[in-house]
Amino acid sequence: MTVFIIRRLMQALLVLFVTSLIVFLGVYAIGNPIDILVPDDATEMERQQAIHSLGLDRPLPVQYGTFLLHALHGDLGTSFVFNQPSISLILDRLPATLELAFVALFLAIVIGMPLGIIAGLKPGSRFDEGVMTTSILGFSLPNFWQGMMLIMIFSVWLGWLPSTGRGQMGSFLGIHSSLFTLDGLAHLILPAINLSLFKISLIIRLTRTGVRETMLLDFVKFARARGVPETRIVVVHVLKNILIPIVTVVGMEFGSIIAFAVVTETIFAWPGVGKLLIDAVMRLDRPVVVAYILVVVAMFITINFVVDLIYSLLDPRIRLGGAK
Amino acid sequence: MNKVSRTSRSKLLAFGASLMLGVSTLATAPAWAAGLVIGSSTEPSAVDPLFSRTGNNQNLAMQVFDRLVVQDENLQLHPGIAKSWETTGPMTWLVHLRDDVTFHDGNKLTADDIIYSLDRAKNVPNSPAPFTGNVAAIDSMKALDPYTIEFTTKAPTPDFIEQIGLVYMLEKKVAEGASIEDYNSGKAAVGTGPYKFKEWVPGDHVTLVRNDAYWDKKAAYDTVTIKFISNDAARVAALLSGSVQLIDAVSPVDVTKLSGTAGIKVHSTSSTRIIYMALDSSRDTSPFITDLDGKPLTPNPLKNAKVRLALSKLINRDGIVDRILSGAGQTAGQLVPEGIGGYVPDLKAESYDVDGAKKLLADAGYPKGFGITIHSSNDRFPGDGEVAQAIGQMFARGGLKVNGVVTQPYNVYASAAGKQEFSAFIFSLGNTTPTAITGLRNLLMTKNKEAGTGGFNRVQYSNPVFDNLMQDVLTEFDTNTRMTAVQNATRTVMQDTPFLPLYWQKVYWASKDDVTYIANKSEDTSAYFASPAK
Repeated sequence: MTVFIIRRLMQALLVLFVTSLIVFLGVYAIGNPIDILVPDDATEMERQQAIHSLGLDRPLPVQYGTFLLHALHGDLGTSFVFNQPSISLILDRLPATLELAFVALFLAIVIGMPLGIIAGLKPGSRFDEGVMTTSILGFSLPNFWQGMMLIMIFSVWLGWLPSTGRGQMGSFLGIHSSLFTLDGLAHLILPAINLSLFKISLIIRLTRTGVRETMLLDFVKFARARGVPETRIVVVHVLKNILIPIVTVVGMEFGSIIAFAVVTETIFAWPGVGKLLIDAVMRLDRPVVVAYILVVVAMFITINFVVDLIYSLLDPRIRLGGAK
Repeated sequence: MNKVSRTSRSKLLAFGASLMLGVSTLATAPAWAAGLVIGSSTEPSAVDPLFSRTGNNQNLAMQVFDRLVVQDENLQLHPGIAKSWETTGPMTWLVHLRDDVTFHDGNKLTADDIIYSLDRAKNVPNSPAPFTGNVAAIDSMKALDPYTIEFTTKAPTPDFIEQIGLVYMLEKKVAEGASIEDYNSGKAAVGTGPYKFKEWVPGDHVTLVRNDAYWDKKAAYDTVTIKFISNDAARVAALLSGSVQLIDAVSPVDVTKLSGTAGIKVHSTSSTRIIYMALDSSRDTSPFITDLDGKPLTPNPLKNAKVRLALSKLINRDGIVDRILSGAGQTAGQLVPEGIGGYVPDLKAESYDVDGAKKLLADAGYPKGFGITIHSSNDRFPGDGEVAQAIGQMFARGGLKVNGVVTQPYNVYASAAGKQEFSAFIFSLGNTTPTAITGLRNLLMTKNKEAGTGGFNRVQYSNPVFDNLMQDVLTEFDTNTRMTAVQNATRTVMQDTPFLPLYWQKVYWASKDDVTYIANKSEDTSAYFASPAK
């Protein structure tokens, strides 16, 4: 276990270093942020002053070296646009995105898994076909269009739910979140549904396939022969067996929801990190782009690690560790 | 590059918006909170008014802070907290302040605050767009009494007030030693403006409340909430659903439909933002100019003024405005539109004249044309990629061999354009000053770092006669003589067709019926211009 963790940590550091180098060079190659940041009526002097104060007049290796040195002290640079530490910009907005991602994933699991199990138990039934057809819509309709439709129906037409922003925030056990006020919840519903529709479909399909395969296996027959009740077979034995692929996918999807919720965040004007990233890319705000991607990479590394741990809990045959 | 996805995305946007508009008549009656809620497409990057001179920051700053002068919707200047000013010599100015201006914390504004703010303007740490140019002319400042300041300038500076007048004024006592976080949290965001700053939740909204002690006309709303909604269709939806009462940057596609929607008003003006085509006219060879076989062509035909005029005549500007922009533009024949100082009434947009153009090309020695590639951004302003496509077709119709039309995202495009990597490329230039002088200086004067001219002269155009005329402009004190001099300089330089003006963008706001908005040429979205409809 210790060896496993140490090896993982070493790998993580290497990945982070390589990522920082690639992203740093990549953003540098796109263009010069100064062309985007200075206003149209800036004088040449103002331009030169800005180039100097943002450190863009230094050679690239020096810029990267300074970045690395500061990064080792936990400082991932200061945003060109906001003049604030890029890491604090990201951490300020991360809670909004996390909240959205958790609710979306929760919806995906509590809606997707039961539907998938029932569909898998009765393949070919009307229910199965209905669920499967609907889930195709979840896959194929563009996320953007779904969002517009949700706004159109529930905000413009019915006028039930607000369409923009995060709403009022409440505080519970020291956590600030829009989950704790009615107004906040109302603001959360549409974006969370928008973000979860694709994931619901994905989980339905994964669960259904898993259930269908597993129901035919010998251990299910033996369980039946021993007189184990059908409900127990499904909920305890089958479910345990199909969970591994689902946990893998849920883990990866959770990462991707956080990292790439940008479409939903843009449509619903949700103040999360996705929008921050897109704006940063458009304005070549390199410190924010680099810091964001490093945070996301670190997050994926952590999620993968947690998923590995969960595997070993679900299936004792899977062992962690370096010792062969 | 990237053209297909851009086009399909904008279609999708238009489709989404039109679907929503289709059902808008069924919208339920909204219930407002007291005050005004604005849906803004852009967000400031900081609350410190001197941190960045870009439009998104100015929007917020102009509501909370004051300047020496007030700028109206046509960019013209009127006395603000400076009630008058005069020159006492070629390099000395006396500025008289109002004595009834108080900061939001109750303290009086005095000459010390003004001197402090003007001094700080050039020393804002890490500012990407400082006000340095506005205060560069100042040699020394002295308070003669609490409400009179004497300035000496480094050189005779006729437009001195236009320069320092646009700097926002801070309270010295509060602002000294304040960090950018102090402004963002509101601690140091103490101005004298019509609204007081309450809070900024990044990515979400800004809240302002009325300043009841304002020295000028009191603000129209008790509270103002500015929500940041960057997506065009989502902003329209927010207006229709009643969660905001005023939105900005309405796209031309939505304008047509919103104008026909009951309960919605559209406000528009032609802005001072000019969309133009720059021509690589100074070099002997240009990277994207070829002969008819596709080989590099020397000498570069764009060096010839006849060829540049011919290209201008090949562009059907009316067609571009009508067909591509749904009318959201005003065809242009010079840098600034009517209403801005230095506008020349008789310089009309070049008319569409294919035969005339062909004749000019033949005279210049290119009867069969030459090869050209057009470049443009595709995400900078509405229709940029499409306009480039259309001009490509127009050039082809005029007998040029169009080798391609390439559009790129602005962040890639802007840098490349600045490095002279293109031959004929489309760009925009906004103007926030009351006259054409800044624009002419930055776009058309010979590039000279020391003199600070030609900052956006990306093609290194150089016209000594025009440069001399502009020197006269920059040193003339009498306003009328100065404006005539600007007009002369403009006439002279436009005869040479140094660039191809296409159109001035129209800008649109839309509001619920109960809000009146003064459409302004500075493209500012601010409660300053909004009031309840009578």
